[in-house]
Amino acid sequence: MNRLSRLASRWLLLLGLIGTPAGADETLHYPATPDSGPGASLVIHGALDLPQMRPLLEDFHHAHPDLDLRYRNLTTLALHERFLAAPDEADVLLSSAMPWQYLLANEGYAQPLETQAAHDWPAWARWRHELFAFTFEPIVMVVNEALIERYGEVRSHADLLALLERHAEALQGRVVTYDPATSGAGYTYAIEESRLSPRYWDLVAALGQAEAELVGTTGEMLEGLIEGRYLVGYNLLGSYAQERLADQPRLKIVVPEDYALVTQRLALIPRQAPHPAAAERFLDYLIGETGQAVLAGKTTLGAIHPALEGPGTATSLRQERGEALRPITLGPGLLATLDDLKREALLTRWQREFSRRERR
Amino acid sequence: MKGGDSLYRRLLTWLLLPLLALGGVMVFLAWVEAQRTADRAFDRLLEAASLAIAEQVQWQDDRLWLDLPPAALEMLATDAEERVFYSLVDRDGRFITGNADLPGDSRRSIASGDTLLYRNIGWQGLSLRQGVRRSRLEDWGVREPFEVRVAHSREGRDALAAELWRANLAMIMAMAALATVGLLLAIRAALTPLTRLRRAIRARDPRTLAPLELSLPRELAELRDTVNELLARMRRVRANQERFIGDASHQLRTPLAGLSARAELALRQEDPTRWKEALVAMQATSARTARLAVQLLSLTRLANPEYRPELVPLELNAIARQAVRDHWSSCHRQGVDLGVEATGGEVWIRGMDWLIAEAIGNLIDNACRYGGRRVTVQVEDAPPRLAVEDDGPGIPEARRLLMLRPFHRDRDDLEGSGLGLAIVDGIARTHGARLRLSAGHAGRGLRVVLQFPGGTP
Repeated sequence: MNRLSRLASRWLLLLGLIGTPAGADETLHYPATPDSGPGASLVIHGALDLPQMRPLLEDFHHAHPDLDLRYRNLTTLALHERFLAAPDEADVLLSSAMPWQYLLANEGYAQPLETQAAHDWPAWARWRHELFAFTFEPIVMVVNEALIERYGEVRSHADLLALLERHAEALQGRVVTYDPATSGAGYTYAIEESRLSPRYWDLVAALGQAEAELVGTTGEMLEGLIEGRYLVGYNLLGSYAQERLADQPRLKIVVPEDYALVTQRLALIPRQAPHPAAAERFLDYLIGETGQAVLAGKTTLGAIHPALEGPGTATSLRQERGEALRPITLGPGLLATLDDLKREALLTRWQREFSRRERR
Repeated sequence: MKGGDSLYRRLLTWLLLPLLALGGVMVFLAWVEAQRTADRAFDRLLEAASLAIAEQVQWQDDRLWLDLPPAALEMLATDAEERVFYSLVDRDGRFITGNADLPGDSRRSIASGDTLLYRNIGWQGLSLRQGVRRSRLEDWGVREPFEVRVAHSREGRDALAAELWRANLAMIMAMAALATVGLLLAIRAALTPLTRLRRAIRARDPRTLAPLELSLPRELAELRDTVNELLARMRRVRANQERFIGDASHQLRTPLAGLSARAELALRQEDPTRWKEALVAMQATSARTARLAVQLLSLTRLANPEYRPELVPLELNAIARQAVRDHWSSCHRQGVDLGVEATGGEVWIRGMDWLIAEAIGNLIDNACRYGGRRVTVQVEDAPPRLAVEDDGPGIPEARRLLMLRPFHRDRDDLEGSGLGLAIVDGIARTHGARLRLSAGHAGRGLRVVLQFPGGTP
């Protein structure tokens, strides 16, 4: 395992950049009501911002006031490292780093949840009752209205490719996307998109031709877009974009029509969880209809529960986009993402394609 | 009959126990076979996944290089959502890439082509099935050996094995049920003749001794024949008894009829002297009749197989002398010479004194009655023997046994009852002694010997 952990830590440096904005190690604390018995507490470690997490925790605490509830928001990197260092600290792990969560579950670090809600949970959004996807967040493009006014609508990857190829000069430096070499999320999307279609490499080449800006987080992209430095943002995390751009009418969020990757946050209960019963209650709540309804109504994360409909749910997004939605498969394929040689191979190719037109 | 010792239950137990054992073995074999089948099926996944990985192994920058196909890993997980592990190892066993540093397999490679080795391993507390593929690069200049190790958890295999086993189990259970039903029917059918025999015996008139007429299987036919033999013996015994009763009543009727006739004749007379004569004659007849009744009674008692008199030690010489003293005067009147030949010492036997005396009396009586002029009672030692010898006409050898039957008389004889020798025979049997009839001294007369068991007590 030594070689593996060395490999892992090298990798983890990138993970911190997945999705979660900086300003980690924030905590929320909901003390138990004074008249309840001692000892009942729950520790949640998550890579999920407080504004998104607060409504869920408040609702859960309202239903279970006897629990002393602590939530610690960490970067995905810190979350993972902290878990490996102290696997008996947290009762629930929530993270958007799907491959890492899968890796933990695959190696038997998670314990199964055998409740009715767990059994009813759609099979595509769970693995072995040990790993549960509880959000549904499409990867989107953000387009400035000014661009639409000049060059027309950008609705799909094909539109974007055409736009980039046709107006590469005009868009020099005005396009922003993830740098797969420094961002774990960007790398994950790259590997998934390259599996979907070989035309992805044309898009990478077109991005290269337009000298797209490569950044590490969705936050940076959103900042640049709001400031007007960029006209097009490619591969942003939909949930964050929706939250940040609520008061930016000039910036339009586009869920691509041809295909849209969907990333999901995964929850697991560690095998050495100090309060397994409380952890089961929370996870059961999180994938239960109540928790999912809160998720749909008060956050931008997207609820999966099949009984829920309307804005903020996977069901409505599916009705809108149908077959185009491509949730990242929750399976052993994720392990390939973490393969060191695989990463080197993909990044080499990416770099080659990105600089293809320049060389010509 | 006790429930625990029923023939039906015994058959059922001894047939069902082997059947159960056999069923158990079959269930176990089915389980082993199901495991093997499931492993064979799922090992194909390990084979395919390791091949998919091996095909992507290249030589790049002077080292092994792998562009891992995600499909190869997805291949390893079925509906059962197995945990999946893989690693690529170079010629020296160094870990190149993978998500788990899986152990190697010490078994040797085959001579040519890829070697595939499967085995069950325990890895960090997980029970895994591992497949190791030893292969080599077939590049232009490089022929570098390498090893792809893949493993997955056993849920899918166990589920398939359980399913196969359940299907087999259902079949085995159905067969066992059929076999049991067949067995029950077969045992029932096999035991039907026994029931028929029982019914036939129960339905019989208790007075009849007719043989059982019933067609039965061989084993039971033997039983039926044995029962029939017993019945035949009982028939013979009963015939004997009936004849004995007939003879006895005949024997008693004759003197009673004589008494009645004599009394009637005397009553017609007026002379008291005639009355006295008649009374004397009647007294003699009634005395004889009384003696006959006593003889009949003792014979009946001796013939009862359950009559077990208590035997006490007796001195034979004394009994013989006493018997001779008792009978001497009557013999003397008839002109018979009665004598005794005793041994020097004492001869002890176990017996009843009055029965032995009765036997000697009967024999002396017989000897006198059938023409003996000289009768000798002899006692011998080692073995203890009592003999009565006369010099009468004797009995031809062929007819000696007949003489032992009650009421059998050698010739017309109004005085004798024909019970004497039969009673002696009964007494001999009661004492466990052997009765032998032979010719007397110098081939004349009759010598009757009672040989008692054992020596002096």
